[in-house]
Amino acid sequence: MSKKKFLSKRKKVCKFTAEGIDYIDYKDVDLLKQFTPVSGKILPRRVSGTSPIYQRKLTRAIKRARILALLPFVGD
Amino acid sequence: MPLYELGVVLTPDLDDQARESFMDELKKLLDQHGATMVKEDVWGKRTLAYPIRHKREGFYFFWQFEAPGTVVAPLEYKLRLSDEVLRYLTLNLDRELRRARKMTAVRAAQQAAKGGGELAEAEPGPHAGGDAVTMAGEEA
Repeated sequence: MSKKKFLSKRKKVCKFTAEGIDYIDYKDVDLLKQFTPVSGKILPRRVSGTSPIYQRKLTRAIKRARILALLPFVGD
Repeated sequence: MPLYELGVVLTPDLDDQARESFMDELKKLLDQHGATMVKEDVWGKRTLAYPIRHKREGFYFFWQFEAPGTVVAPLEYKLRLSDEVLRYLTLNLDRELRRARKMTAVRAAQQAAKGGGELAEAEPGPHAGGDAVTMAGEEA
């Protein structure tokens, strides 16, 4: 699985910088899901290419979503 | 008064009437503390990402309201004691959005500056003046 991800992410770009998303909303489950593999973990920067500023924001958003059971703490 | 965002997950077993009355109670509490509702976003029933109290579903709603900081404590107290609430989350949205708003403003200013520069090169005169006006408006 990690191999596939590696291959598909040949050029890493920060999604949030590229798309001009300034606020990462914890309610935007579909967006957050792109950064959590089935295990439910938060995808590391080295894999996703997210810039440090947005990685921190993303982490916070995912953790908030977990509190409200929008995202799992542990996946399958 | 800061802008707050409240997200609540209620038990799925509540009937419509019980849910309405609970939400009315919350609204009454907010009213008492001088809150003004800005946005109500009711998602309805949704599958939980993990079971809470053996329940697989939850009723989601999100409110945005402007209120003095004194509401938060009594509001969270009530939510914490209510059996019908599975989860809740209160955020100070002003604080959350501060950087985002700044970034948007900066980006808009940059865009305006860039657009203004190009236009000024192509057609100096009325256009340059017009752009300066929009820029000032965006900064305000």
